[in-house]
Amino acid sequence: MTPVPLEDVFLAAAGLFVVLAIAMFYRAVVGPTTQDRLLAVNVLGTNTVVILALLAAGLDQRWFLDVALIYALLNFLMSVAISKFTVERGGVL
Amino acid sequence: MIEPTPLQVTLETVRFWAIVALLGLGVFFTLVSTIGVLRLPDIYARAHTASQTDTLGAGFALAGVALAFGWQHAAVYTVLLLFFVFITNPTAAHAIARSAAETGVEPILAEEGEPDDSTAETEGETR
Amino acid sequence: MAVERLLVPLSDTVTVRQTVGYAVQSGLERADSLECHLVVALPYDDDVPESARQHEDADDLLSRARNWVEEDAGEADVTIETATLGTDEYLFGPRDYAEIFDAYAAENDLDRVVLDPEYEPGVTARILQPLERELDRIGLAYDEAPVERSTRRGRLTGSEDFDRLFATFMISYGFYLVLGDPTYWFDLVTGAAVAGIVAISLARVTFSVPLDRVQSPIRVVRFALYIPYLLWEIVKANIAVSAVILRPSMPIEPTLTQVDSRVRSGLPLTALANSITLTPGTLTVRATDQRLLVHTLIPAAREDLFDGGLERGIRFVFYGRESAAIPSPRERDDAEIVGGDEL
Repeated sequence: MTPVPLEDVFLAAAGLFVVLAIAMFYRAVVGPTTQDRLLAVNVLGTNTVVILALLAAGLDQRWFLDVALIYALLNFLMSVAISKFTVERGGVL
Repeated sequence: MIEPTPLQVTLETVRFWAIVALLGLGVFFTLVSTIGVLRLPDIYARAHTASQTDTLGAGFALAGVALAFGWQHAAVYTVLLLFFVFITNPTAAHAIARSAAETGVEPILAEEGEPDDSTAETEGETR
Repeated sequence: MAVERLLVPLSDTVTVRQTVGYAVQSGLERADSLECHLVVALPYDDDVPESARQHEDADDLLSRARNWVEEDAGEADVTIETATLGTDEYLFGPRDYAEIFDAYAAENDLDRVVLDPEYEPGVTARILQPLERELDRIGLAYDEAPVERSTRRGRLTGSEDFDRLFATFMISYGFYLVLGDPTYWFDLVTGAAVAGIVAISLARVTFSVPLDRVQSPIRVVRFALYIPYLLWEIVKANIAVSAVILRPSMPIEPTLTQVDSRVRSGLPLTALANSITLTPGTLTVRATDQRLLVHTLIPAAREDLFDGGLERGIRFVFYGRESAAIPSPRERDDAEIVGGDEL
């Protein structure tokens, strides 16, 4: 049989993703440009989606996937909105 | 409890290691992508490597999740999730790069004749 | 005696008759006699089956327009020339159209272009604004014909509207059922209601170009074939980029390149630009008409881009297998490395 329960593998992978996400925070904080921060936050968003999916499998909570789906869409909207905002500051989106 | 047949045990083991391999690849490409975003010199170069998280990092990890759920509704969900990530992230990356271009962020370019120009400016070069 | 020389590009729109009328009237106001060049620009796609029909349509439109000019001119001194442009080169975006009009105008010593506000050459979407921008850039004088737009979308037939409604409805219903439970009656009913509302309110927005009952499903199938190829390209590029990033010296060589792609604006161009961005190592910074400004990170990715594999894939999806076999951007001389000033 398997050496460790499958659930633990998913939780461990989720943990690694969290560590990588924290490393990505460096770029989000340091910048230097707004776009650098935005890019880092966008990658963080993708990481969050993956972490949610891994937790859904690891904790056997199917509905986490719903949250992940909505999060992916919101993440996209946020990136596009802030990109547009930096170009035409204060402009109507 | 019914004893699982040897075939079922083998299949379970294969599935387990397949999932471990997929998750490992996902973590690996996300790690590379994170290193890239931290190391590369400018926003345009970072955007390239950010798309690694979006493609193979997320792709392999979500494939692992789909495999764990097996032939279920949730697996379809995961594929749909991946599809959205694939469609929306290049658009977002393009929007970010374009906004950088329009706000006048100059890319660091390797000019013809002096190919070391870009690598000289990178942080953490040769350790 | 002054002669006014006009170029009138025609396409089969509801306002083309008024445009011709305006061209004749305004030309005769400015000068005593008029030389009116009526042209139809055809996108070169001889490998597409519709090509022969397009030529017939063009000839038909030209002969009709000739009659209109004669009718409007009455007793005045009007010379009419007709021509079909673009039969020997690819026309893909507004830039190509502007250039071909300019070349024709220079050849025949024409003063002015009269544009139909609904001008819609070939199968592309309306291109009036980008075309005017390009004409400004080239420096060719143009004039937009003042037309009544009340019948603007009158050309749309009921079946086209139905196709859009049906396609939007099916896509939203399918999405709803994937998220919900396809065997539960409540989800089936609410899904139908929601998809109905979405279809009625958003069908026009979702499909800005009329659907083709034969071509559109084929494109979806071909797109499904394209996905594995795209994934394979992504995996290759990922490994190449990872190798570069993980090496301590990090031998990157960032360049900006400009590629004139051979796909039409709109969905095909979006698909191409997104595929390029999705592949690590290449990033679309800007897409104007069919000209893409691509940032490349490593030489291998740049070579792949110039070899045009993804472009062939997209052409395969939208135009079929025969159209996919075109020369690479490098062979066409459409790819070049540019400096940072192009941003």
